[in-house]
Amino acid sequence: MPNPSEQLPDILPEGTTWEAELKRVGFVRRVFMARRWYGADWWFVVLSSIAVVGFIVVALFPGLFAPYSPYALVGPSFLAPGAQVDLPILVVLKDSPVKELKDLAVAPDAQRPAVAVVEGKPTAGSLNEQAQKIDGEIKNQPGGLRLRPVIDRYVTLAEALQAVADRTDAAAVVQTTEFQAIKGEFPALRAAAPVSGGTSTTGGFLMGTNDIGQDILSRLLWGSRIALIIGFSSSIVSLLLGVPLGLAAGFAGGIFDRLLSLLMDSLYAFPGLILAIAITAVLGPSVFNIIIAISVLYIPTYYRIVRGQTLSVKEEVYIEAAKSIGARSLEILRLYVFPNVIPSVAIIFSVNVADAILTGAGLSFLGLGLPPTIADWGIDVARGQRFIQTAWWMITYPGLAILMVVLTFSMLGEGLTEIFNPRLRQR
Amino acid sequence: MSADVLYSIRNLTVEYNTRAGPVRAVDDVSLDIQRGEILGLVGESGCGKSTLGKALMRLHDELACLTMGELRFDGRDLMKLPLSDMPKIRGAEIGMVFQDPMTSLNPVQRILDHLTETIRTHEPKSSLAAARARAEELVERLGIRRERLKEYPHQMSGGMRQRVMISLALALRAKLVIADEPTTSLDVIVEAKFLDLLRELQKEFGLTILLITHNIGVVAEVADRVAVMYAAKMAEVGTAREVFADPKHPYTQGLLKSVPNIELDGGDLYKMAGEPPSLLHPPAGCRFHPRCPFVMDICSREEPAFEPVAGGHLASCWLYRKAGVINAPGKQEARNG
Repeated sequence: MPNPSEQLPDILPEGTTWEAELKRVGFVRRVFMARRWYGADWWFVVLSSIAVVGFIVVALFPGLFAPYSPYALVGPSFLAPGAQVDLPILVVLKDSPVKELKDLAVAPDAQRPAVAVVEGKPTAGSLNEQAQKIDGEIKNQPGGLRLRPVIDRYVTLAEALQAVADRTDAAAVVQTTEFQAIKGEFPALRAAAPVSGGTSTTGGFLMGTNDIGQDILSRLLWGSRIALIIGFSSSIVSLLLGVPLGLAAGFAGGIFDRLLSLLMDSLYAFPGLILAIAITAVLGPSVFNIIIAISVLYIPTYYRIVRGQTLSVKEEVYIEAAKSIGARSLEILRLYVFPNVIPSVAIIFSVNVADAILTGAGLSFLGLGLPPTIADWGIDVARGQRFIQTAWWMITYPGLAILMVVLTFSMLGEGLTEIFNPRLRQR
Repeated sequence: MSADVLYSIRNLTVEYNTRAGPVRAVDDVSLDIQRGEILGLVGESGCGKSTLGKALMRLHDELACLTMGELRFDGRDLMKLPLSDMPKIRGAEIGMVFQDPMTSLNPVQRILDHLTETIRTHEPKSSLAAARARAEELVERLGIRRERLKEYPHQMSGGMRQRVMISLALALRAKLVIADEPTTSLDVIVEAKFLDLLRELQKEFGLTILLITHNIGVVAEVADRVAVMYAAKMAEVGTAREVFADPKHPYTQGLLKSVPNIELDGGDLYKMAGEPPSLLHPPAGCRFHPRCPFVMDICSREEPAFEPVAGGHLASCWLYRKAGVINAPGKQEARNG
């Protein structure tokens, strides 16, 4: 028979410390019970921390995750997300020995092969590009073969294919999907290897390609690096300047505090983006200058919070008690005021990173932040904006990336606020 | 002045600058604290007793508060020292225990760090290990297990924190401990233990304690001598026996009668007439005269001197002076012992 006194009580008596409760429930259960200790925002913090860590890892090693280089023209332009690339394909007679474009090469003095293309299609460009590349490779090899095809242009696909069937042209370079559609009408022809041209892939692109054929996903992943650098560096710079200034002003008081507060308040009152635009316009576009501009913008945030906290901590009894044991001003600042002020700094830092990323993106969107070739979310959004009607994916994905990262950092900051501030906690 | 006076306060005035005008929270107070005694300083809330306690360490913000007078501690006039020298005296020679133990310790610092920091602030040469050993020894003497030194203030009870505060004052063998309402936020059992501890420590270390409180019972329990303050002025000073058995000042008499007593029948607890005066506009003459049951003509016109009424028993009241013999203001003097 179970003895009731041996069972642990379900509800602990009032005043049980959380350590005692931890000893009782163990670590795993504590994680699951966290909501009870820290409120509902515990999950907010966990999820957003995971997301933040993920973002940082991607931003530190974008090469590991990005399928392509952000600057390489890897596909056709304006390819929709997930769509298959319509690669140009080499079409030859069934009995022809030609397997790929390279096989069309002939001796320098022989007649150059004629290749049929359809007017107005991009296949001629791919053909030219690929032929020149192969020619450059083979002309110095033994045998000295050259590949300099004569391009015959036809108005319709059928005409081009008929020319190959009639042996007028040695081969045709047409788009794969179009050839597949009318292949039945030309039983004598077969498809040889694709002519890739500038396109280095045969697969689709998860987020599509932009106006010049760059992979949007790769640009997003590489762009996270700029976002991370700008977000963290400018927040750290403003923290390193704002916190000591706030501490000094709050602790010293007097005319120094008045003057500094006036300066900071006027900075704060100035519309943020406009100030950043003005600073970058003067300094010129570079990552470093963006960091400077944004950190100037956020120094007052730290200053005001830290100064306010310092003013209230300064009045606490333990500061007076510290004075009564003979602690000097600097010691009081270092050991008593600073540790009591720093939790709120940690919280604004997180929200501040989000803000800085947003401002950085805003600057590049306006064309003031960075050189326009760099993989950056703001620049990608600005670019996509021009093609919003034809290629929605160009503006949507960078926009979503900004949204997600800003949301994540804000969530982390807000969640930490709730956890660190027991007054806001709901039991 | 006798040789065993540790702290001699002469004509101490502390004036706060407020929006409504200057307020003298301590007005021309003279008091001697004798070496090795527990001096109880009692008075109503707002009568200036805490301000007096802080002024003894010159803890007031010099910008907001004007302090005048002579503070002769152990042979030196603290008022003549530059303020930058005060940290050497605070903690090392004069310690302070504050009213609310819940807020008087740094919440982000462990108890051990409080103690070692105090020791090393004043003795920079002592090693961390030595400071630690001293801290452990000290808190064990005060009945706190040494393992608890690793804890943060919020993990301790009020009584324990108050003992930690005491240990901070004892860490450097302070000669004088100013305890500003140390037991106000403690329950009666912890309070009684704490007072016993104070007594023991006073005997063991030869401490001098200024016990600031509004609780007459606490003073009766531990104090050797009692000082009564009323409206920023010193009303009466004497040994505990003298003051409790034969209070001279009408305010002290009223105060003692107002203490609830179980032997008192039928709820006729004495209530003093009137309210304590505003220090912004104190009444002329004796500050107690509007409430005094023995008020005379002279009381509202002239301020009584703070002079002996019997031996070491001092009071500022016209009842014990020959009417018409008026001491010029500023010549008041306290003579103890």
